[in-house]
Amino acid sequence: MTSTTEDLRRSSAAQFFMEEEGDQTILQKITKLINDAATTIDPEVKADNLLKVYDLMKKDEVILNKFLPDVMAFQNDKNASVRKAVLHFIEEIVKRDIEMLPQLVLSIQTLLQDKSPLVQKRCVQCVTMVYRLALQWLCKAPNTTDQMQRVWSMLNNMKAYIIDMVDFEHDGLRTQIVKFLETIVVLQTYPDPESLKWENDFSLDDVPLTLKIARRRKLEEEALTVLDLMIKFHGSPHISSVNLMACMGALTTIAKMRPAFMGRAIAALEALHLNLPPTLSTSQVNSVRKNMKMQLLSLLKHPSSVEYHTNLTTLLTDLGASNSEVSKALPKDELKKRARKAAAAASEVPAKKIRIDEVAPAPPELSAVDITEAFIIERLTPELAAQLVMAGMTRLPDTMPPVFSATYTPIAAAGTQGQIKHVARLLATQLNAVGLGPGASIASKTKPPVRSTDDDEEEEDQNVAPNIPTVVLDDQGLEDEIVKGHVAAKNIKLEVSKPLSSDMRENLQTQAVIRILKAQDSAITGGVNLIRSKIIASMAASFGSKVRQTIMKYILTDLRGQLNLALSWMYEEYSFMQGFSKRAPTQSDDHKYFDNQYDHLICTMINSVINNKEMKDRETVLTRICLEMPLITEEAAALLTRFASMEILGLNIINKIITMRPPKEMIFLKVLLDCTSHQSSEIRETAISHTVDLYLREELRSSIEDHAVNYLNFLKSKQLPAELFGKSQGRLNRGWADKSWDEDLTKACLYLYLSLLPVNQELIHELARVYVVTVPDVKRIILRVVEHPVRAMGMDSPQLLKLVEDCPKGSETLVTRLIHILTDKAPPSNELVERVRELYQTRVSDVRFLIPVLNGLTKNEVIAALPKLIKLNPIVVKEVFNRLLCSGTETETYSSPITPSELLIALHLIEPEKCELKTIIKATSMCFNDKQAYTQEVLAVVMQHLMEVTPLPTLLMRTVIQALSLYPRLIGFVMNILQRLILKQVWRQKKVWEGFIKCCQRAQPHSFQVLLQLPAQQLEDVFKDAPDLKQPMLDHILEFTENQRAHIPQTIMDILMGPSNPPPPVYTIKDEPMSPPSAHTRPDLSIDIKEEPLDDPITTSFSQPAPPGMD
Amino acid sequence: MGLQSLSIAVVCSSNMNRSMEAHAFLSKKGFKVRSFGTGDKVKLPGTAVDRPNVYDFTSTYEEIYQDLTSKDRAFYTQNGLLHMLDRNRRIKLRPERFQVSRDKFDVVITCEERVYDQVIEHFENRISEENAPVHIVNIDIQDNHEEATIGAFIICELMTVMANSDDLDNDIDTVLASYEHKWNRSLLHSVAFY
Repeated sequence: MTSTTEDLRRSSAAQFFMEEEGDQTILQKITKLINDAATTIDPEVKADNLLKVYDLMKKDEVILNKFLPDVMAFQNDKNASVRKAVLHFIEEIVKRDIEMLPQLVLSIQTLLQDKSPLVQKRCVQCVTMVYRLALQWLCKAPNTTDQMQRVWSMLNNMKAYIIDMVDFEHDGLRTQIVKFLETIVVLQTYPDPESLKWENDFSLDDVPLTLKIARRRKLEEEALTVLDLMIKFHGSPHISSVNLMACMGALTTIAKMRPAFMGRAIAALEALHLNLPPTLSTSQVNSVRKNMKMQLLSLLKHPSSVEYHTNLTTLLTDLGASNSEVSKALPKDELKKRARKAAAAASEVPAKKIRIDEVAPAPPELSAVDITEAFIIERLTPELAAQLVMAGMTRLPDTMPPVFSATYTPIAAAGTQGQIKHVARLLATQLNAVGLGPGASIASKTKPPVRSTDDDEEEEDQNVAPNIPTVVLDDQGLEDEIVKGHVAAKNIKLEVSKPLSSDMRENLQTQAVIRILKAQDSAITGGVNLIRSKIIASMAASFGSKVRQTIMKYILTDLRGQLNLALSWMYEEYSFMQGFSKRAPTQSDDHKYFDNQYDHLICTMINSVINNKEMKDRETVLTRICLEMPLITEEAAALLTRFASMEILGLNIINKIITMRPPKEMIFLKVLLDCTSHQSSEIRETAISHTVDLYLREELRSSIEDHAVNYLNFLKSKQLPAELFGKSQGRLNRGWADKSWDEDLTKACLYLYLSLLPVNQELIHELARVYVVTVPDVKRIILRVVEHPVRAMGMDSPQLLKLVEDCPKGSETLVTRLIHILTDKAPPSNELVERVRELYQTRVSDVRFLIPVLNGLTKNEVIAALPKLIKLNPIVVKEVFNRLLCSGTETETYSSPITPSELLIALHLIEPEKCELKTIIKATSMCFNDKQAYTQEVLAVVMQHLMEVTPLPTLLMRTVIQALSLYPRLIGFVMNILQRLILKQVWRQKKVWEGFIKCCQRAQPHSFQVLLQLPAQQLEDVFKDAPDLKQPMLDHILEFTENQRAHIPQTIMDILMGPSNPPPPVYTIKDEPMSPPSAHTRPDLSIDIKEEPLDDPITTSFSQPAPPGMD
Repeated sequence: MGLQSLSIAVVCSSNMNRSMEAHAFLSKKGFKVRSFGTGDKVKLPGTAVDRPNVYDFTSTYEEIYQDLTSKDRAFYTQNGLLHMLDRNRRIKLRPERFQVSRDKFDVVITCEERVYDQVIEHFENRISEENAPVHIVNIDIQDNHEEATIGAFIICELMTVMANSDDLDNDIDTVLASYEHKWNRSLLHSVAFY
């Protein structure tokens, strides 16, 4: 044999040379068959070859072992019939040698879960046999090996799986499973002496008590459970005809082989007879009744059925069996036996006998029927029967139902005690079912310990035929009518097997759906709303388009109210799409189809909310849909995106999705970010505020930042970015390429960035970098919009300070603006001042930098900067002065480093080479205009101070004049000044001297006193410059008393009087005794000012436009 | 599914007329078909009603043919029995009794209710080993030549529908219901296991 095995490994070519050997020929044939099977496409040939292979192989174990894997490989064949053939193969091998089972059990298990029900069915058939053989194998083996244990546990798993499959929607499979269940029950229960014996019979008696892995008690328990299951299945109201046949046959077989269950089997058949499934067609009813008759007759023949002969014969009579048929089936010695038994029973406990006679297995419910039955027997007199018939007549249908006439058999034994009893029993069953009669009260109290057919049957009755008691029976076989009529009535409705026209079907379907839809209120009242919603969802997901549409319409008319329904539908569709739910075979297997269904559903829902602007609680509804739907498809995402660019609601939803549905957050974040540059301010602001909220989340931070910076960087380019256009941005797509940066577009790039700025101040550097390269228009806009965020950042922001410190080249205007904004409302902080000072001193010498922080500088610094400052644009200068004088701001809390008087003095002391005089004049005029700061006291101090400066400041006299004109009451003080100037020989400084003279002119007549103190030479100069002074002064002197006049030096008098003709004394006294009225002086002063060129162009070092507010 | 995928048995009482007519017709159509009788004996009408010709199931058609020829050739030619036997002997050797057959089928068609009962009884009294389901369907056909011809035709119709079903066990109820509807005949159906 070893040589054969070696030969096997040789190539098939080599095998040709050994044809003469008999073994070899077989091997060759097998090889050829397998190869053919593997290469052919015809599944018939494949299957056929496999069977032929088995025939060849079965003779030799070695060959079989050799080729087994090759054959087993076909279990993965695409064709179901080939896989079935493999099962056949397995079956044959196991039948021949159970020791091969361990090698094959895995294949069986795989095939049991095959996707084709045909193969599954074949597999169940195979397992039915294998299970039996395996149990025998276990029981016969001297000791249990691990392998056996493994095989057994796998078989047990398969058994459980098969039992579960009873619920599958496949009739053929169920038929086969019924057979399997029958086998389990027969194998795992004890036989009776009266059991039918078959060769090769196996029962619990054959299971050794020592067998550990299969305990008798457990096996029996299992068998009983399975039997319960069978009986329940047998009694289920919608069982198909073919299943019912199989079930009846199985129960009969069990009863015959294990007579212990005779009672249960008969009870089950009896129950079936009384309550045939309503779904059966007429001819199916015939077949079932026929079959039942056959089964009952065969049971009647069985010796163990003696106890039940009354029930059996009555049933058989009902089913139309003739007396001869019945008596033929009765065992010959039955009568004797029966009499003997009855006698024996009577001598024991009479009560027990009744019970046995009536209902042997006697579940508690039946005892309730028993009581009612006994109750009825007592009363069922012919008179009552006649009354019942009369009462029932009115309820008979007009025409005889065809089924009734077909199945009606005359009651053979009418009026006998047995027949009355039977009628009573039928009545009792019906009465009990509706809770009438003495037995019903007991039944309601007794809790059924086990589920039994009768239990189910009763429930069934209650549900289906609550009006049964109103139908009345007579003793002429109306009990048949009630059953048949019942069946017939149901048949008329059901007719399952007859195909309806597809229109009709669809129509009925839709109507059924509509009814369910309408039943919302009753469903809620009944507490089954959840179930209803589940039903609707399943129907919507798995039925045709018409049903879908109907349900969709229903939901959409009140989406708010039906939201839960909508969601459960979505989930249903989703489970189909993902393959969580099993699809009905009628449904398309196309995966795409389910994707589309789901997609379409959610999009329709979302769309309906979006388009219905009047909807109540629109936001809540949409939010729930978006947050609760199992998956946001691309289509839905696109929909929401579009919506977001149109309504704030959309943005709010998107924001929620981002927060609540992390898997999609990036997609929707993008949407949200895109909306931050939207043209509509409403949408934009909402988007920005959401984004800023989200910005606090670590994981989204960088994306948001990138987006903001990216948009900011768009500003660098002269080209407009495409991102800003399109529907989603609320801007027209057309012609954008020709546009240039305008305010809207520029701002669009800035909004998000600026909003983030206060949160993440580091971003400010980015702005500075971008600012440098932007075009002037953009720069201007940036400077304008930057105000708000910068103010929010505050002066102490380290990043701002850093920016000020670094101040990239080209961004000076920006930095200036920033500093301006910062110091606008509050005094500059020390750090800021420090940085600005540093910058000013080292890099940027533009004095404008200093303006915002002026108040933070020292007095000396301010004074040093003054010459430059006053050269600036008058408005700027004004601003500077405002700052220095703390005017123009409401908050007077901070103090200027320099007092008003010091400022004015400083102005006067500016060296002429540093600054042009007229600039200084303008600056001083500004001071004078600020009357709040420059009161007359201040001015007095200034003048006092300036007086002491040597040389005298050029503008001294101008200031004096102005002070005087502003505050005429200063006249005394001014006179004093003038006198002191004389002492300082004011005439030596030409400019001051001119001023002095002017001042005197203005201040007459008070100035006469001063003039008188001038040396004669100078007085003459005065008159030379201002001849108009001479006469008034002379007049003034002439008014003097002699005594007074005597004090005037002669030289002076000479100058006044003139040597030749002393002027005649004119007595026009008090012509102008007072200082000139202000109305008079003002024009003079204004002339003074107007003399100076006002619009002197400012020389600046910047090529850039001045910051706003400066130009 | 091909016609060959079903293995069919047609059963009547004597395996002479109805089952053989169907056997002939179906095998001509390409079905995998066998025919049987369920009676104890093969019974053929005789020259008088109370004198039927009774044979054992062991007799061949040829023997019966010869026997009848010798008894009354003209009479049996006239009533068609010889013609029928002539056809039968071309199909197979002798009538077969269903109850003794060891073969297995997917569908068993019976031609009258009595035969149906016998077939079911037969299945009742055997234990199933392979657990392969078999469908037993009764179509009532009167025992004469004309009805047998019509019967063979409608059996063939039914078999064609069954053979075309992917999964007969699953579809049987529907197939039978639509068939009943179409031919306005009522069928009996049961399922048993080998």
